[in-house]
Amino acid sequence: MDKILTPSPRGWVPTFVGMTIKKNEVALGLPLILFFALPLSASIFFALGGLFDITGWTAFLSHPQLWPALQLALFTGLISTGISLFVGLLIVSGLYQTEWWPRLSTQVGSMLAVPHLALAVGVSFLIMPSGFIARAIAVFAGWAVPPNWVTTHDPYGVALVTCLVIKETPFLIWILASVLNHEDVQRDLAGQRAVALSLGHNMTSIWLRVFLPQILPKLLWPVFVVFTYAVTVVDMALVIGPTQPPTLAIIVWTDINDAEVLNNARGGVGAIFLSLAIALAALFVWSIGKMLAARRKWLTVGPSFKTRPRLYLAPILILKFFAIYALAIATLVLLSFAPLWPFPQLWPQTLNATAWLRVWSNPSALITSLALAFATTAPGLTLIVAWMESQPKAHDKIVLVLSATALGLPAILVSLGQYRAFLHMGLTGTVAGLFLAHLIPVTTYMFIVLAGPYRSFDPRWRSSASGLLASFPRFLWSIKMPLLKAPLLAASAIGFAVSFSQYVPAQLISAGRYSTLPMEAVTLTSGTNRPLTAAFTLLLMVPPLLAFVAAAYFGRSRWRAA
Amino acid sequence: MSITRRRLLRFSAAAGLTPFTSSFVQAADWGAIETEAKGQEVYFNAWAGADTINAYIAWAAEQVKARYGVTLDHVKITDTAEVVKRVRDEVAAGKIDGSVDLVWINGENFRALKTEKLLFGPFAESLPNFAYVDVRGKPTTLQDFSESVDGMESPWGMAQFTFFGDGAKFLSPPKSMIELAAFAKANPGRVTFPAPPDFHGTTFLKQALVEATADKGIFAKPIDASAFAEVAKPWLAFLDDIRPSLWREGTQYPKSQSEITQMVADGELLIGLSFNPNEPANLVAAGTLPKTTIAWQHAGGTIGNSHFVAIPTNAKAKAGAQVIANFLLSAEAQARKNDLKIWGDPTVLDVTKLSGEDAKQFATLPAPGSVIFSGPALLEPHASFVALIESTWLENYGKG
Repeated sequence: MDKILTPSPRGWVPTFVGMTIKKNEVALGLPLILFFALPLSASIFFALGGLFDITGWTAFLSHPQLWPALQLALFTGLISTGISLFVGLLIVSGLYQTEWWPRLSTQVGSMLAVPHLALAVGVSFLIMPSGFIARAIAVFAGWAVPPNWVTTHDPYGVALVTCLVIKETPFLIWILASVLNHEDVQRDLAGQRAVALSLGHNMTSIWLRVFLPQILPKLLWPVFVVFTYAVTVVDMALVIGPTQPPTLAIIVWTDINDAEVLNNARGGVGAIFLSLAIALAALFVWSIGKMLAARRKWLTVGPSFKTRPRLYLAPILILKFFAIYALAIATLVLLSFAPLWPFPQLWPQTLNATAWLRVWSNPSALITSLALAFATTAPGLTLIVAWMESQPKAHDKIVLVLSATALGLPAILVSLGQYRAFLHMGLTGTVAGLFLAHLIPVTTYMFIVLAGPYRSFDPRWRSSASGLLASFPRFLWSIKMPLLKAPLLAASAIGFAVSFSQYVPAQLISAGRYSTLPMEAVTLTSGTNRPLTAAFTLLLMVPPLLAFVAAAYFGRSRWRAA
Repeated sequence: MSITRRRLLRFSAAAGLTPFTSSFVQAADWGAIETEAKGQEVYFNAWAGADTINAYIAWAAEQVKARYGVTLDHVKITDTAEVVKRVRDEVAAGKIDGSVDLVWINGENFRALKTEKLLFGPFAESLPNFAYVDVRGKPTTLQDFSESVDGMESPWGMAQFTFFGDGAKFLSPPKSMIELAAFAKANPGRVTFPAPPDFHGTTFLKQALVEATADKGIFAKPIDASAFAEVAKPWLAFLDDIRPSLWREGTQYPKSQSEITQMVADGELLIGLSFNPNEPANLVAAGTLPKTTIAWQHAGGTIGNSHFVAIPTNAKAKAGAQVIANFLLSAEAQARKNDLKIWGDPTVLDVTKLSGEDAKQFATLPAPGSVIFSGPALLEPHASFVALIESTWLENYGKG
């Protein structure tokens, strides 16, 4: 019988849970190991094959762009993650427990459905020298040719950081909402707020001193995922990032895609190097955070911010985000109908639906993608819930580290590793292989998103239910799942979106035997056809958008905090 | 449109320039191959970034199904290097019934598969329709970059480095690299090329090197780093001269040829580049470029090459793949591919070898965007130049 200390903020007594499920521990934890952890470990094992490749290391370390590219990658990654976290917290702290909050937490998810590539294409058409803003100025300034602006592809990666912040802030707000909308947390925070208010603290002070120290630890893994993504992102960096030198991820990606074995080796080593750099940078920032947190003085001394906080800042900020997304999407819609749109025209020369007709001419890929997304999200969620209910929290670490490693390595390398592993298992070109290739990333993201909220479920609910003689399944179905429905639905929406956007691994595993929507989209848009690119990115956005909206709607809190 | 965006063509390590050898392979009984092919399913891995090309392959699939009972599945890919790695991995894992039956290929990808003994063959010269290939007039059908073909891939189409722009914006296009530099100085920030290792960028640098070098004989032979340092001097002087007039003053470069094409269409750049001489005309027809678009080549010639189809050693449907390769070489299929309205990919055949009826199909009328000034096709420099060109460029201009 395990003693589990509840992580309740009030430091409650040890309780005895897991008693009834102990006997099923192995059986229930096994599926996650079998269908997720094992194939993922195999993929990482094959991906890391180049670790001891001396020629690869020599070639990589003598790459003339290595150090400037690494600097750029870490700079853009750290700055964008930092700004995203700051802005996300600013918005959430300004809107939590206000009349804005229910709407924000339902609608912010819609922004997540917008793929990185779509946002990058949309934003770049707004800011590039022949883009919309320049055209609007040209009308008044009388420019005949685009200005020599350095907006997209700027050497410092400012445009890339901007795009990443626009994309990652809503993700962090979404995560924060799923943490804060947790019924237990809501109740606890409401109580603490009442106490703090009566002690003379205003909301800013309460956030800094009471709420943040409880919330930040739960954001650790999501923030790490954001940072890793920002450093390893390829599609967005290609559209809007610096080119000479590019970020390190692009150099690695180019090498891994090469036909030469030697360049592949250099890329493989580069990918491992990049992952180590990410881990070191994250560890560095985390230890600084720990150090600051240890000096808790700032928590207790200083003013309690008697001045009125600027309440209007958060609504304005969040409206700006929605406005940018709306503009980027509107631009994409227009581009999808405009084969030719030369500078300085404010409206396209011709408009036609050729691209859309092309997109609709093959609906089977869309159907395959939808089927896969549904078929992987549900079992992925089941695997995770079975794991959470059967394994002690300490075991999560193994899965989390595995997931973080998989996400920390550049996607192309893990995909290649997975492909080699599947090849040896005879899974390439099979439905089972295609299914697993989608299930693994889906489960990876869902686990990271769910681990925090699921484990912080207050065990006293279980005690009360046992006291009322409710069976364990009854308790799970009638009490725990409804209480956790917001994070469960949030995770499902993310799983759905992740499945729907899988490209490289699916392409490798399917061996041309099956075609999904991203495969169609990526191959058809590798040529010069902006309308087709725009149409496909819009289409790729719709099903995840519906999933996020549905998750937010059905997951909204029934108990409104005062 | 540009077949070359498949990054098919870049190559790096040294490969000896094999003398012209036309290997006469024991012709297998073609009838037996056709019989064996009936009912086979051929997975044809081919770059799929252009609707025109995909539609052409779909047409070929209908034809081979109706005529030979062979099913052609177009496996749509973005980068042929994917296929090289796939075949390499499958063979290493001992997979005999491979997933690739036929692949659209040339350059470094072909060289990689050939030197690693991952190709089935020789088969190309025993295809009945190979007899019509213009091996004398189009030597690149036997010499893929500096690698001897040796019948291990069957020629499919021709390519030559071509420039294009909006003829309404300038009177006469620059017909050499020197003229291009003058053009760039007169229009600062309106000319650029993709950064290597993008293969269009590498080809631009090769073209500049060939034009800047007086003794063209050196390009047929292997070269080492110290000899290259000497050869590169006039080339680097040219690049130093043009650089400040390039887009973003030569500190940043677009990622690809297609990005440059888009920037030309938007009006941000004046000159675009392509490996398919008919791509600009095709893009005009598709409405991507204005009707006033013109295309041209340099007076002293531009780099040209061929593209092919090959069969991996572990292909499952080798007979079916050969039947398709042969069909793609037929006068009918080549003429249709040559048609600007269909694809506009130049033929590998010697039209004079064909019957009058067949030859007539190849006559094409000039269309808006087609080449108005053509130069001779130049052979690719020896493979040993490429790595040196790329590393020298990166060292001098790649650090921002």
